[in-house]
Amino acid sequence: MTEKVGGRPVHGDGAVRPRTPEPKKVLMVPLDPVHDVGLKLIRRALSQRGHEVVLLPPDLPPEEVVQKAGEIRPDCLLVSRTISYGTAELLARFLDLLDTAGLRDKMRVAVGGMSIRPELAQEMGFDAGFGPDTTVDDAVAFVEDREFQGTRARRKLSKPDLTEGFSYRFKDEEIGCLCHEVAQELLSWAKERTSPGVLRAEIREEMERARKEGRQEEVSRLRDEYARLTGDEILRFYREGTPVSHTRPLTPPEARAFSDLEKTAGDGDDLTCPASADVMGNRVVFVQYGTGCPLVDSYHIVLSQSWGARGVVHFDPSWGARQEGLLEGTWSHQHDGTVITLDNLQLIKKYILPWTLWQVRAHRGLNTPETVVLAALAGADLTKVNMVYGSLAAGTDPERLCVDGVKCLELAARFGLPYDVVTNEELAGVPAAKAFAGMLVVMTAGVLSGGRPILQPLFARSPEAIINGIMDEDFVDFNAAKMMVLADIVDAPVWPGAPVGFLTQSQDRVQSSTMTALHAALALHLGSRAVTIASSDEAYAGGPITGASRVDSLKSVAAALRFFGQTKITPSPRAASLREKLREDILNTLKSAVAAGSLVDALYAGVFGSREDGAYPGRAGRGTVTKRS
Amino acid sequence: MAKALDRVLDAVDVETFLLCETRDEGVELGLRLMKELGFDDPDVVFCEQGGPGVRIRLRAYLSRPGSNYPWIGQHQHDVGEAKTGD
Repeated sequence: MTEKVGGRPVHGDGAVRPRTPEPKKVLMVPLDPVHDVGLKLIRRALSQRGHEVVLLPPDLPPEEVVQKAGEIRPDCLLVSRTISYGTAELLARFLDLLDTAGLRDKMRVAVGGMSIRPELAQEMGFDAGFGPDTTVDDAVAFVEDREFQGTRARRKLSKPDLTEGFSYRFKDEEIGCLCHEVAQELLSWAKERTSPGVLRAEIREEMERARKEGRQEEVSRLRDEYARLTGDEILRFYREGTPVSHTRPLTPPEARAFSDLEKTAGDGDDLTCPASADVMGNRVVFVQYGTGCPLVDSYHIVLSQSWGARGVVHFDPSWGARQEGLLEGTWSHQHDGTVITLDNLQLIKKYILPWTLWQVRAHRGLNTPETVVLAALAGADLTKVNMVYGSLAAGTDPERLCVDGVKCLELAARFGLPYDVVTNEELAGVPAAKAFAGMLVVMTAGVLSGGRPILQPLFARSPEAIINGIMDEDFVDFNAAKMMVLADIVDAPVWPGAPVGFLTQSQDRVQSSTMTALHAALALHLGSRAVTIASSDEAYAGGPITGASRVDSLKSVAAALRFFGQTKITPSPRAASLREKLREDILNTLKSAVAAGSLVDALYAGVFGSREDGAYPGRAGRGTVTKRS
Repeated sequence: MAKALDRVLDAVDVETFLLCETRDEGVELGLRLMKELGFDDPDVVFCEQGGPGVRIRLRAYLSRPGSNYPWIGQHQHDVGEAKTGD
């Protein structure tokens, strides 16, 4: 059984608390007209631990309380005050009366309650003050004269495996057969092809192995070979050392600041965690980082983990997707997105706790296979792959991304990196059913390649939903229908994102945090293995996310999870009809893909999202695919 | 022209994340921050420690119930000034 004070769970059996050295006599009294619930909880805990407790009723005049204190002569006097009106005057007078009666020095006196601020209580002369976030344990510790645990919590958690227990068996055989047909063709086609992105990934892997083994000449040779496969600014960096626009190397003071942070985070044992982090428990909530600066990112990662995040997602600059090649070294970037280099990733990795999942995304652009290599070398737990999204809504040529994407699937399987198959093309206007069809094909190709994909439906107010009025009534049914149809089709893990609540959040942090929290709670209650959330700055485009905004959204999610508890969220009957429609449209999309002859042809033809929908086959990397020699 | 602060209905809140080692240090830093911003009588509405610092909400009341509200008449006054400028 658990009870709560200030929203924090406290176990009532006393087993987790150290034994008290000797029983204490405790007098408790609410200096308040009615409120004494907090004191009752504390009384129960103290009594269970063998202390002698007297709880006086509410609404006694201070003079009478002082008289009782004189009669009982407790070791500790705990007073509470909930209402804020006249609190300071009342408490000052109470202390004066105790002093006048010669009792103040005879006992330790603490005050707590909703209207109490610890610093004010101590200024007034109380031995301790307990504010709204106080736990029963804190009060017990005061009585037993032990050090307060405060908000410091040692959370020993294990790293979750999001794919554990899933067979990837198609329950919907008709859809499964079509997915296999398209996926098999894709894998056979890609096996005979290569690209600069694939070659760079192979060189990078070899180069880092040579670097690790101290074979410098080999590193130089491979670096030259790598540089020949890069373009524009990246080539200038390798040839002349010129920084890419809007980037600069990290400075020595910045490098030193990393070690300050290391003291804060450590291996998690000494990380200060507020009460709301306990509410998050083992629910896997991911946050995204990518302020541009690895140092600020690391601070954001540490504070996010403190407030209960169990996963972090690396966001890189969008130009990284359109340039052939990745940089080396530690770089700060003045715009959104943190530059992917092995050095940057290794710096950031230091601040990721042993139980936190770390995702480095490789789902779009011209450097996807190499990103998987770097993710694995840096120790990431997850990556992100989807050539359908990347080529229809992120600017990369479909043929190129299919070759690179299949290489990603192979690498992810070899490195043991699970990956989500994201469907953010919905944000461009692609209907969910088409996006899901693409996701299921990529998932199938991933499984056939030996990998462990995770389905990532978009929990959002997508353009399709807006235009067709699907979410005019609520934001539950369509998202629920997405979860239901995927569960009907295949036994695979689901991790909605990315982030949930897209296009429902405004610039107002309260509204934004609330929307994020409700979407996260919905996803987790509908059986998701994880969820990726936004910060309360999601809809603000004027600069990077702030630390305070990250905390706000995490606290909101914790509050929503606390609110719903184990309650089942039941969508309206409309969700079932939406699920039927989704299934029918997924099936029809897959039939069209088979008819198109190949995934690549289907992408160019608009089967998985047409120009009319808002999907445009990308141009970056067009014409760079070659047959393997 | 009237000061913008005179148009504040009741209070100014400052929301931020402060880097510090303890909650007490965070509170002290927060109150100092408010004084550096020119607020003489600041208060801490909310302060929670986590990781490298505290999430804090600081408040400075400019008008409390029963005080002389600086914003009375200011709106009409400014509108009048604007009209004169036409």
